[in-house]
Order: sequence, then structure tokens, then C-alpha cells
Amino acid sequence: MKQWMNLKTLVIIVAILFAVAFPQMGFKMYYVHIGVLSLLHILLALGLNLVAGYAGQLSLAQAAFFGIGAYVSALLMLNLKWSFWLAAPLGALAAGLVAVGIGLPTLRLKGPYFVISTMGFGEIVRLVFLNWESVTRGPNGLPGIPAPDPISLGFVTLTFESRVENYYLILTVLLVVLVLYYNLVHSRIGRALRAIRNDYIATQVMGIHVAFYRILAFGVGAALSGLTGALYAGYIRFISPDTFTIGESINILIMMVIGGMGTISGPIIGAIFITYLLETMRVFAEYRLVIYGLLMFLVILYMPHGIAGMLKKLSLRVRAGKKEA
Amino acid sequence: MFQEFVQQIVNGLVLGSTYALIALGLTMIYGILGIVNWAHSELYMLGAFVGVFLVVHLKLPFLLGLVLAMLVMALFGMAMDLLVFRPLRSAPEMNMIIGTLGISIFLVQAAVIVFSPNPVRFPTEFSDAYLSFMGISITLQRLMVFCVTLVLIALLNYIIKYTTVGKAMRACEQNRDAAKLMGIDINRISLITCAIGAALAAAAGTLVGPIFLVSPQMGLAAISKVFAVVILGGMGNVPGAIWAAFILGLAESLTAGFISSYYKDVVTFCILITVLIIKPAGLFGRSQIEKV
Repeated sequence: MKQWMNLKTLVIIVAILFAVAFPQMGFKMYYVHIGVLSLLHILLALGLNLVAGYAGQLSLAQAAFFGIGAYVSALLMLNLKWSFWLAAPLGALAAGLVAVGIGLPTLRLKGPYFVISTMGFGEIVRLVFLNWESVTRGPNGLPGIPAPDPISLGFVTLTFESRVENYYLILTVLLVVLVLYYNLVHSRIGRALRAIRNDYIATQVMGIHVAFYRILAFGVGAALSGLTGALYAGYIRFISPDTFTIGESINILIMMVIGGMGTISGPIIGAIFITYLLETMRVFAEYRLVIYGLLMFLVILYMPHGIAGMLKKLSLRVRAGKKEA
Repeated sequence: MFQEFVQQIVNGLVLGSTYALIALGLTMIYGILGIVNWAHSELYMLGAFVGVFLVVHLKLPFLLGLVLAMLVMALFGMAMDLLVFRPLRSAPEMNMIIGTLGISIFLVQAAVIVFSPNPVRFPTEFSDAYLSFMGISITLQRLMVFCVTLVLIALLNYIIKYTTVGKAMRACEQNRDAAKLMGIDINRISLITCAIGAALAAAAGTLVGPIFLVSPQMGLAAISKVFAVVILGGMGNVPGAIWAAFILGLAESLTAGFISSYYKDVVTFCILITVLIIKPAGLFGRSQIEKV
């Protein structure tokens, strides 16, 4: 067991070092951009994973929460001239609160009922972005969103204008989120969520408030997506309803499924893998989606825990083989 | 005003017929096989393309094309049962939804590659024929959508109520294990259910293809409405799905006609969410207590 932990720690340290060194490796700016998108997608996939992977409720409204976070924070910055550091948490909070409001009636529903409600909600949110022109400027979107304000640390001032600077900002957020996420998943709450996913009747009988934990997971997952929306708005500086569609929700789903539901490394692996393919294989856009669809079916059928689950199984098998020899 | 109203009622009935035909297969597959088939409306889309091929390219008469399209898609439905539903049968419900969602993406994109993403026109011998009285004119095609739907519903009702296969289907719906013990071949019943469901969806596609346009995205546009119908009717409830389909179809077209076409989808989902809050088993469903 100890050896296994060491291997795991080693992999984590190498991954973090690589992530930190990545923009300095002399890749083209374009690849740094893909790096930023990967980080944002990791955050989104982690948000969905909390609801689907841990609590066992598939949500197709993640792009809507992503959009709510982006629009709320962008509008606060543009209209009220608030600082990014104030607007971003409020964007996250808004997405979380909306999710709780939607979750109260719908999370009592199971399976297809919940999926279709979130799908409908996602569509309504997109229509609101599109048609509430006096506030959201409709299909024209919101241009000119300011970058996050510089932070002065006394001896040095951090600015967030360039791609590399944004990369480090989002990476920092991601690392903080991962630590919190790990603790959440391994706490009483995480155990309750997994218990609900595996057998909600038994869990209810054990005296765990199923609806409360489901709403909690949905709200936290949505807030995480909302925060990602604010980071996205601060990075791209322009948002429009086109980004926050059901197609984006499905993209997030594909990343989570192929990477591995119900694990922490899964959404990370899946988001990097799919984002890289999305950006570099634009030429084959049509064929790409055919392959993704089929892949999603095969992965869910033959390896329901995705790439992460397969790697874990593989390493366990290797270790078992060593022991025997 | 009166003419406008009647016009919207007719539109609502056409829309309701489409939803009913697609929703019937979906609700049967859920009730009998226990599968939540997210790819079901792709059968509607593919059915429309098969209809275009038979009627426009092979120049068959429309009604013959309709029957042939239903047969072709019935075979496709059987293939889907063997390749997709059977492996997924014992998976958790969420994995079923994700799996069939994957199949849906696959079919839509395959259709984009094979048929091109652009909408296709589907003219038939009924498209230009009008029936008019009291200043209201209705294309024959619209009238036919409604009539054929009624015939198909009656036929389905006959199969389910009065034939041996129908009896076996109802038995599977009530209790699959007990049905198996009584010597019912579950695999055969699920093949037949999928064939019927796919044929009904194909009928919907071929019937309304001439009114709207035929495109690979037409299934995606319909799926959330169809699920709303199935849920409102009570999952697995066949008569419930039919009533819910016409209620939603009428609500949607009346909203589009008298309030704003922007908000017709919003109205559907508001009805859905309201019903789910008040009566979670659907308008026509009985609430079930899950036994352990």
C-alpha cells in the first residue's frame, strides 16, 4: 500500500511540475491557449463530476451555470465597474444559488426526469441570454470585459493581461480547487454522496438526508462552473450565448466520461485529452464527433470508470504480478 | 382571429401527432425493456431521410414510401436492440442515458457526413393540394399527418390489447422476471418492441418531413419535447403519452401563434417543471413506491 501511495505522490508531483513549467517550455502561444482552455475544461468537468460521478445525477445544465457565472461577473465588471476579485466569487455564488433553486424541486426526481429538467433549464438560460437584449445585448454578446485587476504583493505587482499570466491564475485556482475537492470527496459529505449513488434507498434508511446532499452537490458543482465562467470571461474578454449551449454541456460530459466518472484524476485526464483533440483536429470536426459518440457508448459499456479507472486497474495488476514473482 | 385560431389548432394537432408517434416508441421501450433511449428521436430523423430517398429519389407513391420507410426502420430498430440495448440492459440508469446519448451523437454526425448538414426539401404529391372551407385552408399533408397518426395509434392499441404478442408485452411491462418464468421469450419481445417503436418514429419522420424540412438536426430539436411528453404522460404509460403529446403540441402552437414564437420552448418546459413539482409521476401516471 505504501509503495502505491508513493507512486501516486510521485505522479502528482510530476504532473504539477509539468503544469507549472508548461508555458516556459517554449511552445507557441497557441499551445498556451490550449493549456488555458484545458484548465478551464478541467474545472467544468470537475463540477459535473461532483453531481454525476459522485451523486449519480446526470446534469446537462453545466454549460448554463458556466454561462451564468460568466454573464453575472462580466455584467458586474462592465456596468458597476466592480473588481474581478469581487465579481468572480459573486458569479460563482449566483450560479450556485440558481442551482439550489432549480435543485429543490427537480433533485427529488431521478434518472431521466432530472436529466430532462436540467436540459430544459439549460435551454431556457440560453434563450434568456439571447433574448434579454437590454441587459445581455443578445446575440452580439458582451465585448470589452476587463482583465482581472493587478495585485500588488509589495515587492512585485502581478498583472493578468497576457495568456501566460492567465494560465498561472487559472492553474492556481485549479490547484486550490483540487485540494478542497479532494477533502470534500473524502469527507463525510463525499461518503454520503457515493452511498446515495450506489443505493439511495439504503442510504435513506441509514438516516442520511438524500435530497440535502444531492442539492449540496448540485449547488457546489454549479458554483464551480460559475467560477470557471468568471475566469473564462476574464481571459477571453468577450462572451456570447453561443458558448453556453447544450453542445458545450455534452462536451463536458464526454470529457468526464472518457476520463473517468467518480474519480478526481478522470476529469483532469479527460479534459486535457479532449480539449487537445478538439483544438488540433478542427479539420476533422465532422468525423471527430462521430468517433466521440461511439467512444462514449463503448467507454460507458466496457470501462465505466474511464481512462482513470483503467490506469488504476492496470497499476494494481502490475503490482499484484510483482508480488507473485 | 378565428381563422388564425383554427390554423394554430391544426398546427398543434400536427405537432402533437409527431410527438405522439415518437413518444409511443420511447415510452414502450422504457416500460417494457427498462431502457431510457436518448437516441430515439434519431430514428425519427433517419426515418425522414429514408422517406426522402424512397419518395423523392425512387419516385414511389407517398403512402407506399411511408410503409416501406417504416419497415426499413423497424429492421434498424431491431439492430439497435441487439447492438445497443442488450449490452446496456443491466447497466445503471445513468450509464444507459450516457450510452444512448453517445449513440445519438454518433447517428446525428453520421447523418451529417452521409446526407450533408443542409436541410433537404421533401415534396410529395400531397404538399400542394389544399382543402379549404370558411376561408381556412389546410394542406392535405397536414390533414394526413393527423389521420395516419390516428390509424397507427388504433393499430398499436389493437396489437397491445388483442394479440398474443401484445399480451406478452404487457406481461413484460408488469414484471419482467415473472414473465420470463411464464415462458415468455424476453429477447423476442424486446426485438418486437424496438421494431414497433422505430417504425412509429419513422412514420413521424416521413409524415412531417414534407411539412418542415428534413435535416440531421431534426431529431435533436425534438428529443427534449418528446421526453417532456413521455414524462408528462407518466414514463411507460402509453395512453398518457398520447394525451400529453397533443396537450403539449397545442400549447406550443398556441403560444407561438398568440404570445411569441421565442417563448414556445420555454412554455413547454415551464409546463413540464410545474407538473413535475406538483405531480412527479406525470399527469397520467400513478406514483410508484419503490420496493426493495
